[in-house]
Parts: sequence; C-alpha cells; structure tokens
Amino acid sequence: MNQTTAVASPLGAEATKPRSRWTKHFWGYAFVLPAVAIFLLFLWLPIVKGIVFSFYHIDFVKGNTYVGLDNYKLIFKDPDVGTAVKNTLYYMFLCIVIGFWVPILFAISISELRRFQGFARIAAYLPYVVPVVVLYGLWRWLYDPVGPFNAALEKVGITPINFMTDKSWSMISIVIMETWQQFGSAMLIYLAAILSIPRDWYEAAEIDGAGVWRRIWHITLPAIRNQIGLLLLLQLIGTSQGYQSQLAMLDGGPNNATLTYALYIVKYAFNSFNYGVASALGVLMFLVLGVLAVIQHRLSTRGGNAA
Amino acid sequence: MKSTERGIVSSYDMKKPLNKTVYVLMCIVVAVMCVSMLYPIATALFNGLKANVEVNSFPPHFLPQEWHFDNYKKGWSFIDLPLYLRNTLLIFVGNMVVTVVVIGFAAFSLSRLDWPYRKAVYYFFLATLFIPPTTYIIPNFINLRDLHLMNTFWAFWLPAGANAFYLLLLKSFFDGINQELFEAFRVDGASEPRVFWQLAFPLSVPIFATLAIFVFATSWNDWFWPSMVMGGEHYPLATAIKKFVIDARRLDLNIRFAILTMIMIPPIVIFLIFQRFIVRGLHLGGVKG
Repeated sequence: MNQTTAVASPLGAEATKPRSRWTKHFWGYAFVLPAVAIFLLFLWLPIVKGIVFSFYHIDFVKGNTYVGLDNYKLIFKDPDVGTAVKNTLYYMFLCIVIGFWVPILFAISISELRRFQGFARIAAYLPYVVPVVVLYGLWRWLYDPVGPFNAALEKVGITPINFMTDKSWSMISIVIMETWQQFGSAMLIYLAAILSIPRDWYEAAEIDGAGVWRRIWHITLPAIRNQIGLLLLLQLIGTSQGYQSQLAMLDGGPNNATLTYALYIVKYAFNSFNYGVASALGVLMFLVLGVLAVIQHRLSTRGGNAA
Repeated sequence: MKSTERGIVSSYDMKKPLNKTVYVLMCIVVAVMCVSMLYPIATALFNGLKANVEVNSFPPHFLPQEWHFDNYKKGWSFIDLPLYLRNTLLIFVGNMVVTVVVIGFAAFSLSRLDWPYRKAVYYFFLATLFIPPTTYIIPNFINLRDLHLMNTFWAFWLPAGANAFYLLLLKSFFDGINQELFEAFRVDGASEPRVFWQLAFPLSVPIFATLAIFVFATSWNDWFWPSMVMGGEHYPLATAIKKFVIDARRLDLNIRFAILTMIMIPPIVIFLIFQRFIVRGLHLGGVKG
C-alpha cells in the first residue's frame, strides 16, 4: 500500500487523498469476512461443541443433560474400545507393511523405464480414479469364496481363503484393496521427485565406482527423504482415522475384527444414537492425533522450503 | 524425459549380466503391476456384459461368452441415475462457486491486501488443519442439524467454504503473481473486486482448475457423509449406488456391474483428458500437505 501512493502521485492527485482507516482497509475486511464466518460456523463451532457435548447426554427430543465425566467413564469401561484401538493400530501397521513401500518401489522402477513410462504411470494411477463405491462392489466379488482370486489359488493348489469372513484375513484384505486403489497417487509424488534428481549425480557416482544399488541407496533414496517422511506421516494421520472401507465392506465384522476406532465413533452415534459418548471418543482421538498433526506441519513446512 | 540419456542405470551397467537380469525382472514386475491394475477394472466392465449365470460360475471367465448389452438398459431402469447425477452435479457446482467466491476472496485478501491483524486471521484459518476431521464428525453432524440444514444442499455448499487446505493453495498461488501487475491495475483506478475478477482470477485459472478436480473427485466419491446428511431424494450418485446397488439384496450381479461400470467410466474419461492438471494438483498436495 505504501508503494501505491509513491507510484500514484505523479499520475493523479485523487489517489493520494488521505483516507480513514476504515475505508482504507474496507476491501481487505470485506473479502475475508465471509470465510471467517463460514470457518467459525462450520469448523470452529463443531470443534468446540464436540468438547462440550462430551460432558452431556444428547437427546434431540428431550434436550441435553449435563452428565459430568460419565461419558468418559463409560469409554474406559467399554472393552470394545480397547479392541477398536488395537484394530486401528493393527490397520496402521498393515498399511505400512503392505502398502508403504509399494509406491517407492514402483516410482524407482518406472523412472528407469526407457519406454512405456507414461503408460505405466497412467495404469498405476487409474484405480485411484475409480469411485470408492465401485471399488467396494468390485472387490466384494473379487474376494468372493468362489471369485477370481480363489479360482487362481485353486489353480496353483492352495486351499481357498475366505478373504472377507475369516477373522485373520479380513483386515489384510481391506488393506490390500486400499493399497491397490491408492498407491498410484503416492507413486506420482515420488516419481516427480526422482525425475528431478540431476543425472550428473549418478554419472559422478558411477565414475567413482558406485554400483546400481549403492546409487539407489546413497542418491535416490536420500533425495526423496522429505517426501518419504511427509507421506509416512500423512498416511499415519489418514489411516488412524480410517473407517469407510471397514464400514462399507464388513460393517466392522467379522466379530469386530475390522472395528476401527473411527468406525466405533460412527457406530456409537448412528447405531446407538449415543452422541455424547461419540463426541467424547472424538475428543480423546483428537488429543492423540493432534500431536501427529503438529509434527506433520513441522515436516511439511521444512519440505516446502527445501523444494 | 526423452532428452535424458541415463537414469540410475547407465548403458554401461547394462553390459553386466547381473544388472541386466535385475533390470529385466524389474520390467516384468512393472508389467505385472500394470496388468493387476487394469484387470479388476476390465472385469467390472466385462461382468456388466455377461449373463448372470456366467458371472456366478466358477472358475470365472474373463471375457463374456455371450454379450448382453441389454444389461445396461436394465441397469438404467433399475435406478434413477439422472436424478442422482443431477444431485451430484448440483453439489459440485455449488461447492465450486463457494470455493471461488469465499476461499478465493479470502486468499486474495490475505495475500494481496494489507490490513491489521492479517497474520492472526491467517492462523485462525490455518489452525483448523491440525484438527483431524474424524474427531469432530459427530458434533459437525449435530451442528448442521441445529442449523436446520439437514436434507438441503446448503449442508454441502456452505461448509465447502471452510477448507483451509484450498485456502493455503490459493494464497501461495496469489503470492507468486507479480506485484507490479496489481499496482498497475490500482493506479488505473480499479476497485479491489475488479482487481480480483479481472486480474487475479484469470491469472489463477490453472490453480482453480486443479481445485475443481479435487472438488469434483470429492462430490463424485463421497458416499458416507451424504448418507448421514441427506435423505433418499437428495442422495448424490455415490450414496445412491452404495445404498441401492451395493447393499441391494435382490439384484443380479451382471446388472450390478453394468451400473458400476456406468458410474466408473465418466471419472476415468475425465482423468485421461485432464491428466496434466491432476498430476500437478497431486504434486501441490504432496509438497504443501
């Protein structure tokens, strides 16, 4: 704004007329006001309400009643909460073991392709474009006891697996399905980072006698270190809140084997209509995840400056 | 990519037999990956063209033995797709308008206008990024109920303006526009709204296009939240498919797959056309988190 007056004065005297503080900043406030109102009403208000509701029994008909810490006491007595926490940690663990390395591996492999690189990239990303509801319908059929996967297993002589109804398989099946759908987007981020590594570095390393593996280990992986850290945290934040696939595919079953914490929140609210306990579960989850989110922001601002 | 002569592996490395074997293996793995990505999508397509008996036969065939194109006609009459498509598009267009007007103006103000306490307001927006949405999903639902927005499209349109991530993307884009362009406009006596509509907005079309893809993907994909907030008539496509097709007890599998194919094809086509924007958007999303 200071520059405005400096530039404007030779052109027109009107622009330099002293204006009151209010008119000077009028548009600044006017532009930001709707967003402030909407953020207040649809983000901050629910967030605060969540904390308040966690001390209340919510009843849409008779009105809310203050119950003190009863909701929290109920949570710590409920054995299913423990199951849900365990399942969530197991789900996060599986997503890393089954899913996290896949995009890194394929990003490096695809970056080395001399031909069909564009095709491989599109093929890897395509499942991400398939709507999730289609995904559920499709994979229920693929995982069917008499579906294509079991047909393939039978051909190689392995006894059929009940991917969905076997307790020890259900969570793994969901993670495989989600990895199939989602690894392409992470792969593209890694690929972009790998392709921006100067080729001379590899040349220099090769002249110094470093083999292919050592080049990957000492040049490629360190160069995408920021992306690896960031995506790992984003994945942890995302999977710690995961519930939609578990809900849509198995409704938390068989025998609570895919009941995640977030799914339990949803079930408390929309199956038991106990919104107070559901809010309290949300508050507890926030306390744990808030720490993760702060770390993520630290890393992402660092990554952004480096890029 | 064509100009680079080497990647990690050079032509010299390829002369060693071990490296060559590993490289060939790697190509096979990538090929297997491509097939396993495309195979399920193709099965959805072909299952929608089979006779119902054939979809249920074991072991399953990949290609249909007889082609039943009338499955699509049956699927079309089973569910009122145009109605739900209209709802999805209404949600998308409304969300996009709110994104441009509310978030666009706010980002412009934060980036290009000078006023007191700007930094504080910026953090007021930014802080919402640290609160995972699942933790307040229930109070959010009750809040919409208290505001009497249930079963109206406003329940989607208004909260669409509360997205700190989009605000951040737009702000950093506006930050990158040359300051002198703005000064030139203001010197000519343009008011701030005109500066936004005639300068900032046209220059930011690429970033708005990227946002449009995000917003489209959300409105096309999201099924759970709408199923809570909306009732039958107002369901968007994804929710309607989940409730009436995926959860349907009495619906032949081949018809089911025909319907799934019909709603799978549009986003795939859009992706193939707008690939470049989408890839850029992803990159932004990844770096700025």
